[in-house]
This record gives sequence, C-alpha cells and structure tokens, in this order.
Amino acid sequence: MRVARRGPLAGVLLAVALSSAGCASVPQNRRARLADPMMNLTDEPLDAARRQKLYDTREGAAGGDGAAAGGGCGCQ
Amino acid sequence: MKRAPVDRARALVSAFEAGILVAAVVLCACALLPSPARADDGGSLSTAHILDAMTSTLRLESVTTRVSGYDQYGHGFQAQGGPTAMSPGSERLTVFEPQAEFVMSQGDRITHRLWLPADVVTNASPDAIDVMSSASRHVEAGSIDWTTTYRANRELELAMRNGVHLENPFRSWASGLGVRRSFADDGTVVAGSVLEVFDWFDRFQIDGHRVDHTDRSGTTGSVSLTQILTPTTVANVNYGITVLDGVLGNTWNSVPLASGGRGPELLPNRRIRHALVGRASQWLPWNGALRLYYRFYADDWGIVANTMEGQLLQRLTPELYFGTYYRFHRQTGAYFFTTLAPLDAPLRVADSDLAPLDSQTIGGKVVMDFPMTGRVRALHLELECERYVRTNDLHATSVSWATGFRF
Repeated sequence: MRVARRGPLAGVLLAVALSSAGCASVPQNRRARLADPMMNLTDEPLDAARRQKLYDTREGAAGGDGAAAGGGCGCQ
Repeated sequence: MKRAPVDRARALVSAFEAGILVAAVVLCACALLPSPARADDGGSLSTAHILDAMTSTLRLESVTTRVSGYDQYGHGFQAQGGPTAMSPGSERLTVFEPQAEFVMSQGDRITHRLWLPADVVTNASPDAIDVMSSASRHVEAGSIDWTTTYRANRELELAMRNGVHLENPFRSWASGLGVRRSFADDGTVVAGSVLEVFDWFDRFQIDGHRVDHTDRSGTTGSVSLTQILTPTTVANVNYGITVLDGVLGNTWNSVPLASGGRGPELLPNRRIRHALVGRASQWLPWNGALRLYYRFYADDWGIVANTMEGQLLQRLTPELYFGTYYRFHRQTGAYFFTTLAPLDAPLRVADSDLAPLDSQTIGGKVVMDFPMTGRVRALHLELECERYVRTNDLHATSVSWATGFRF
C-alpha cells in the first residue's frame, strides 16, 4: 500500500516537471531523433489495441488509459 | 478490516471527479481559443471550410493488418467445472484475433480511420456446467470503429469516433469526441476526449438459462499532456476517469457459497475508475531507445493498482529494429472478493480478475520498414511474441504478426 500511496504523488510531480519544461522549446531542426518510430510513446495502434484487450480481460484494474475502461467484471 | 482502503479510494475519487470536470472545461476552452495567424495556415472552424474539405475525394493512405493468437491456461473460482462445486473451474481458451486498419485522407484537413477488429474464442471452459459450456465453446465477435479527424489549423484538431460491437449474446455502441491542441511548434500537445459506450446483452442464470436482456453504460473522459523535454526525450502524462452504470457483470459468473453449492455474483450497479499514466521515451546514443510506462489506478470497488513497464529497443539498420519489454502489474482485490461467500453477503464476487494479484509480461518484437517504389511507398512488417503470467493460476502465450502498406 506504501507504493500505492506514492502513485498520485509521482503523477503530480511528473505533470509539474512536464509543465515547467514547456518553457524551453526544442527547435524543429533538433528533433530528428524523436522522429524515429522507436521513440513513439505508444505502440503501433493495432498492437496497442491487442495489448489493451489482453490486460482488460485479465486484470480488474486495467483500462482507463484514455480509452474505454472495462474488464474484470464482464464489462468487455 | 477491508473497508479502510475503500474509504481512501472513495476520498480520492471525489477529489478527482471535481478536478476532471474543471480540467475538461479548461482544456476545451483553451483548444478553441483563436491562435496567432500563420501565412500557411488559413484554417478555421467555419462551416464553409468544413464542407469544402468534405467534398474532396478519398485517398487511401495506409492499410495495416495484424493477426494475433493466444493460448491460455489457468483456473478461476468464477468458473464452474472443477472437481467439486467449491473448486475453481478451467479458464483454458484459445483466441484468434485478426484486425485491419484503413487510413484515408479527404482533402488536406480530414482524415478517416476505419478499424475492424475481430475475435474468435474457442475452448472456453469446455468442461463447465454453466453457460460457458455452450455459449463460449466457440464465440465470434467483431467491431466496426470509425474515427474522423478534422484539422482546423496547424495547432488544432477535432476528432469524432463511432463504433459498434457485435457478438452472439452482446451488442455495444460507442461514440466519442476528442480535441488536440499543439503549442510551440508541436513541442507541447494538450489533448482531451470523451467516450460514451452503451452495452446491451443477454442476462443468464448461472446454470446457463437465458433470462432476458439487460444493459450498462460507460462514460470515459481523459486529458493528456505531451511535452518534448530535450532533443532526445519526450514524455506524456494522462489522466482518465470512467463511470460505469448498470449490470456490471456478465451474469453467468458464479461464487462458491459457504452453505455449499454456488450462487450468482452480486455486484454494485456503479463503478468509478481512475487511471493516471506517465510515459517517457529516451533516445540512447547507440541507436537505441528506452521507453518507460507507469500507471496508477484506483476505483470505488477498493482496487488500487500500480503498473510499470520498460521497453528497450535497438536499431540494427535503417530498415530494421528489435525490442524487448517487461511489464509488472500489482493490484489489490475488490473489497467484496471472496472464494467462499456467506449466504447473506450483500455483495460477492469470485472473479479471479478482481482478486489481489501480481502479473508479469515479458515479450520481444522485430520490426521492419522497407521503402518501396511505385504505388506502395513503404512496407511495414512486425513479429511479436510474449508470455503473460499471473500469480493466481493464469498464464498465456501470444504471437502476433502485422503487415502494413503505406501509399
């Protein structure tokens, strides 16, 4: 439960860090590395859907990542 | 004794509910604020611009297919068919899951995404005496999901999503709206979406008799912030809330009773779920990338979960890279989870998905992107294998293959 209590705090700290970093913009001509598909924050859409379904139907706490949540209670 | 974490989760829920409403309103207001004009911009949300864009012809941009197969073994107390009525039943099943995605542009501003997933599930609890023994020996399901995105200008995109899901005893409709606003030459992206899902399905008794129809609805709202931190680092934070109302079980899951025999699940009619997600990608100097994922989850059924994942990817050639990943998930159980319920319990569930559990996933993939000449500009190939293991007697192996054409 100690880890669980730290979860929201970690999220808030990450949000604050992202917001403060927004003050310094990275110019377009220095973003070549970020254009590599390996750097995508999420998986390719069909792979992401496959994995989301795998977890939604096996873990009652899955879902809610910006997509429809469900699972664990026949909610799929 | 098990109520304490529930109270904490409920307090968390109330604060988040108020926060998400404010965040959604602020996000929508920010997204619709006029942005500084650009020479190459010229976009607007006027009816004339939208109608002009809609009269353009469709152009196919890409076609991607993915075929996945799962082989699952395990046991759960919600399933019947064990050696005795008190024993967990089999959760053995195989899944064949083909998907197809078509992306089309309509003029310069409108993009359509048509997604067609399907499922063929076999051998679900073949020895059970409940409804699974007949209805789920072989189940086929399919969905049609259409998302249209309108780019109003360089900074602002609006999206509308509609979908329908068809399955033998089950129908589902989904409809949603999304908005995405970028700042500082896409260095910062703020997005928000709402999605409404309505399910209509057959209600069964635990012995497999069909009773009538019932329904439930789910409303999901999410906001996210993506930020380029350095020339080699990008990060994202996302918060989502889902409110489920109605019959929240599949109606045929059962619970072992202390008096002997089995009874149906007794679930609350509402569930409010919260998920807070952080993601980061870091470029590595040896032509590699490290992707990190963390998710905190809490709901008013008393489930609190933490999930972490790391992916290490390595590019071998301009056309080929491979990756490995590891995911760890830990959750507490629903406060009314039991594997032996007293007869007078107002709420009860024995579903192994709602139990306290840890799960681990380890996997790997190889991805190839070949430039082509002619009508097809690029060919995308991907092979992925993974192993999923859960502490309460469930494990699965999956293999997935994707083929994509970019035009």
